[in-house]
Amino acid sequence: MTGGGTEVLFPIGHPKYTAPEVHLSSIFVKSGPKVDIWSLGFIVAELALGKKLWVDLKLSQCIRKVISLLQCDGTVLERLAREHNCWETYEQLPSDLKDFIAACLNVSPKKRLMPKDLLNHVLFQSIQCPKEKFTAKVYNSVQNCKLQKPLLSERKLQEIYYLWQLAGGDVQSELKKQGLIRTKAPILSLPTVVLLEGTLFGQVRDQTSMLDLRVVPLPLDNLYQRLAHLPATSYYPLVEIKSDIIQTEQQLDAATLPLIIRERDTEYQFHRVVLYDRLLTGYPYKKASILKEARKDVPPIFRGDIWAALLEVAGNMEDLYISIDKETPTHMDRQIEVDIPRCHQYDELLSSCEGHKKFKRVLKAWVVSHPQYVYWQGLDSLCAPFLFLNFNKEYQAYACFSAFIPKYLHNFFLKDNSAIIQEYLAKFSHLIVFHDPALANHLASINFIPELFAIPWFLTMFSHVFPLHKIFHLWDKLLLGDASFPLYIGLSVLEQLRDTLLESGFNECILLFSDLPEIDIERCVTNSIELYCSTPRSVTYRQHELSLATSDSERSQLEISPITVAELQSEFCPRISAADVLDLLDMNHAKFSRPKVVVVDIRPPDEFHRGAVPGSVNIPYSEDAQISCLTRHKGKIMVVAGSGRGPHACEFSRRLVGEGFSRVCTLHKGVQVLRSTNILVVPNAM
Amino acid sequence: MANRGGAQRPNGSTQGKICQFKLVLLGESAVGKSSLVLRFVKGQFHEYQESTIGAAFLTQTVCLDDTTVKFEIWDTAGQERYHSLAPMYYRGAQAAIVVYDITNQDTFGRAKSWVKELQRQASPNIVIALSGNKADLANKRMVEYEEAQAYAEENGLLFMETSAKTAMNVNDIFLAIGELKQFEILLKNLSKENYLY
Repeated sequence: MTGGGTEVLFPIGHPKYTAPEVHLSSIFVKSGPKVDIWSLGFIVAELALGKKLWVDLKLSQCIRKVISLLQCDGTVLERLAREHNCWETYEQLPSDLKDFIAACLNVSPKKRLMPKDLLNHVLFQSIQCPKEKFTAKVYNSVQNCKLQKPLLSERKLQEIYYLWQLAGGDVQSELKKQGLIRTKAPILSLPTVVLLEGTLFGQVRDQTSMLDLRVVPLPLDNLYQRLAHLPATSYYPLVEIKSDIIQTEQQLDAATLPLIIRERDTEYQFHRVVLYDRLLTGYPYKKASILKEARKDVPPIFRGDIWAALLEVAGNMEDLYISIDKETPTHMDRQIEVDIPRCHQYDELLSSCEGHKKFKRVLKAWVVSHPQYVYWQGLDSLCAPFLFLNFNKEYQAYACFSAFIPKYLHNFFLKDNSAIIQEYLAKFSHLIVFHDPALANHLASINFIPELFAIPWFLTMFSHVFPLHKIFHLWDKLLLGDASFPLYIGLSVLEQLRDTLLESGFNECILLFSDLPEIDIERCVTNSIELYCSTPRSVTYRQHELSLATSDSERSQLEISPITVAELQSEFCPRISAADVLDLLDMNHAKFSRPKVVVVDIRPPDEFHRGAVPGSVNIPYSEDAQISCLTRHKGKIMVVAGSGRGPHACEFSRRLVGEGFSRVCTLHKGVQVLRSTNILVVPNAM
Repeated sequence: MANRGGAQRPNGSTQGKICQFKLVLLGESAVGKSSLVLRFVKGQFHEYQESTIGAAFLTQTVCLDDTTVKFEIWDTAGQERYHSLAPMYYRGAQAAIVVYDITNQDTFGRAKSWVKELQRQASPNIVIALSGNKADLANKRMVEYEEAQAYAEENGLLFMETSAKTAMNVNDIFLAIGELKQFEILLKNLSKENYLY
């Protein structure tokens, strides 16, 4: 706990009983068994001589005495006996005891014996048990508890405590049993009269409010029992198995249960804890495995570390964090100070005084270390989950926070972020149109735009919207997704409100968002993942997203290119890239048995007949063009392709959405962008 | 807008009338805008009311004499950075409550600039009320009552010191706005029927 005495500012042990070498060294000698042996010898000496030694000495004299023992002619015990006038007692001591004390009180730490050697001392010969019997006993007891005790006790204390709590352990109730928790209201323990000198009358001083050094062992029987049937191998799960013969995936009984139940299942959590403990020790080399396991779930005890791994936090963040100036007052201090005491204050940690201080440091550190950004309200909410999970590792909270923002909220905290937010919300609208035309049509008809409700959603990645326990489950999955994933979460939240929204007018809708009903997070994430998987990537393309990949130029002309926010907002449906259309057309039938996409070509027939996408439907644009022939393609992604620029594709796609078609999008740059790909054919030849 | 009560009698009686209007709260962050609304709408108070991002929307219906008044309240984010969003909420608002914190002089300065902006940008017949909130913390007062009142008179604002915590003047300030609006509507209707001008 104290790093052998090196991590605390005070010497460990009573000076009188401390070995002389400890007093002599200017820096603390690491406490260790040899120092303890000296203390043991000294205590035995006192017992043997029947006298407390150096009773009335001051501290400094006492230390001098100990040091003086370094220069004594006979044994230390002899000297002590002489000094205290008990030579007679000394003489009468059995020789093996004298020898034992001498072995302990050897002034040279090198020559002083170690505990295991001392155990072989003649003094203990009579009480030593035969070796074989002892081992047999141990073996038997190990057998009896099926290896549980020793194996479990090898786990880290925090893990055992975590599992102990899951198995029903409760420190509060244990302390209550010992009478260590005050059950009286504080006002009832106030004294009736207090004299100026400090004497109290009227109430017996409450013992529970005083320092109590009692050690209360927590009973582990319950936990042992729960884990009793587990084989020893579960304590050492195989992390990497090369052989195909051994089944790698050990299916746990609880794995299919709802998340909330899995998190409370002692045995399931035990397996997760043991596994993750090994994986995290291997981070960053085990990053891929951590990612894979995180898809299943994240055990609450390691959430902070797992998130850090998912955010690819690595390197010496502690020194970096320490080097950031978090103290010098800045102009955003007032705002941070008024925001922190309002942020997730139902939580004990975040509402504590220490929590507020940490909170302020982490936020300031982020603002100071990112001069291109400014403090926006909402950053506090965003920071809260990281701080909560890394409460005693501020630097990790900072590191995760700093890694999270560019990944999901790139440039959201610029002084002028309007372009970024407008693009984001426009994309969100497009996504609603793409997946839920009925809802989109309704919202459009009452002029209900995402600007009215979704800014706090995305600016804080829902951390301003949901309580912490929900954010944890939401972000567990969010962190596995890319920068577009939050849009799908937003859509899933809307889906849960869908029925109410559809039958509400503007005011009822906005009220619904101001006082959001319960959202089922597990359903929400499952739904988000489904939506994510069924949406072409280019539909959620954002030019303000932090782009990492640089695509080659030949392909890049098939990708989406930036358009203005005004253009984006004026369009009702999302655009799709030619590259995604090619992918979905799947000309070689490599992926799908039937194409997932139908291209609706709205060019005039003569243009269409000069070259069109195979399988495409030609509906030349006019205001009342017949679209009934598209009904049989319902469910497919419908790509409206015009001839490049011009509003026709947008107008036509809007009409399709109005008719209730889902997954409608327009082809970015029109049909001619596909010319270079050589897939266009003359329709007659199809 | 609000006069869907049918024909008005010359004496201005407005039996069974429903009056509905949009009200926006503006002011520096943490002065108590959300708390005022929460007190008025739900009669609740949270010591650590969460900060508002973007805006929140609430409604409250009250009866004034024989008129049902429905408040549609937009509660906005206080941080200066969210300023660019504010026009979206005060545009078309018929009333505004500009809030400051009596224990903080800066918030009063900020309230003044909100008033200026409203006078310039909002609809011309908007009713503006000034609320000196946190009146329960009078021992920490930094903005004198007289100072704020003088300012309010100069600019033709309704003025009250309020406390969302103790509920002091909270209903009063909303109702005062309601009455003013009602009176305004009355005047308008009267003028329509050529009793004025």
